[in-house]
Amino acid sequence: MRPAEDIKRLIENLSDKTSIQMDQRVREDMLHALEKSNQTSARTEPNIRRTIMKSPIIKIAAAAVIIALVVLGLFEFIGTENSSGVVWAEVARKVEASRGSVVRCRQTTSFQPSDETDYSITYTSPSYSRKDIYKAGQITESYYDDFDTNTMTYFNHIHKHYMSRTFNTRKNEFFLEQHEDWMNPRYLVQRILSGEHRNLGQKTIEGVLCEGIETTDPAALGPLPGPVNRLEVEMRLWVNVETGYPVLFESKMSGEAEGQSMSSEGVMDQFQWDVELDPSFLEPNIPPDYVDMRTL
Amino acid sequence: MLEDKLLVLKCRHGNKDAMCRIYEKYKDYLLTLAKGFLGEQAEAEDIVHDVFVAFARSARQFRLTGSLKGYLVTCVSNRARDRIRARMRQAEALNSTSPFAAGSSNPEQHAAEAEELTRLRQALRQIPYEQREAVLLHVRGEMRFREIAKLQGVSVSTVHGRYRYGLDKLRSLLNSEVKQ
Repeated sequence: MRPAEDIKRLIENLSDKTSIQMDQRVREDMLHALEKSNQTSARTEPNIRRTIMKSPIIKIAAAAVIIALVVLGLFEFIGTENSSGVVWAEVARKVEASRGSVVRCRQTTSFQPSDETDYSITYTSPSYSRKDIYKAGQITESYYDDFDTNTMTYFNHIHKHYMSRTFNTRKNEFFLEQHEDWMNPRYLVQRILSGEHRNLGQKTIEGVLCEGIETTDPAALGPLPGPVNRLEVEMRLWVNVETGYPVLFESKMSGEAEGQSMSSEGVMDQFQWDVELDPSFLEPNIPPDYVDMRTL
Repeated sequence: MLEDKLLVLKCRHGNKDAMCRIYEKYKDYLLTLAKGFLGEQAEAEDIVHDVFVAFARSARQFRLTGSLKGYLVTCVSNRARDRIRARMRQAEALNSTSPFAAGSSNPEQHAAEAEELTRLRQALRQIPYEQREAVLLHVRGEMRFREIAKLQGVSVSTVHGRYRYGLDKLRSLLNSEVKQ
């Protein structure tokens, strides 16, 4: 009698290979279906951002990126002053007085494909902000925020789509997520300073003498929008000793949310402070060949 | 596992390379299972085709909660079971007793396969579908009994029983052929 193990071994050896014809047929139909799916769901693209922001860990990661703007208010809460280097209160004053800022953000996460975005550039003035997302040297998406009218305009330059919406800052969660609580730099600053932080001393970054502070206290993130286990946070901010302006922000975060381990690393650099940004550059101008997503 | 999650995420963003990568990764494995379930090359190919097209169609909304491999195997199993049911209905209509197409395998393929595997395929066709599914999913699909139980909508002990009976039946069939 043949043993059961023998039968199992035989079953394990069952192996079928797809034919070239089958591969061709499946690929064609599958990619056609995917393409069709992309077209029909294009109208939901602005909501991707909203959906993403609902995930606790992603909010954290997003906060890590946005946190560059935290420097706008970070230092006014820092009581420590270093007589030999950066006077943090003075940094705070200069940042606050900056007419406009530009920053490059790069981020890698364990939960989003890394090959879709190379980096983003965010331009901020007291009334407007513009964020361009780059891939292979091209701007693929743009977000324009008008803080006076509470209007956000989104452009997808690949599909030539756009969408503009006005938000009620008190009622609309999406806008709140961007500009209040989690996404509000001032709020984040308060949270960061509520956690423990330490002075990193001085070091030279790209030929510039800098001084930094660091926090590894998860409490710095404040109340999370959902349960996150094993949350670890590491944030460092470096300021040019001579000019008193921030030059580099680094962040690392990891944790478990919704049953998945996730991590993110972000770097913000190439800061430009007190730049005068042309208002027309920060206002969304809809190209004539772009289609309103709501009409699709 | 992590690679699959990234591939799925890329698919959700409409990445064609990621979709093709998933197909390349699992096509032979799924075809083997489908052919094991149905014993028919053309039908097995159709099922694998349909599973990937359906996956691509829903890629934008797809949320991976378990393993991608497990998800795809479940899709293949469900579709194979539908086919078997359709065959049974057809067989009833034709007043036939067997839900399996007689002599449906390609003789050339049989010639190319090892004789042993050909006998195994023939034996698989002769055992009840639920037993065949349990044996193939556990041994070839590397699925746990509780996963199979969930898929079949029965208790783990029932799956275990189907597996044991299926394996015993296969042994008996293959040994009797050897004796002949």
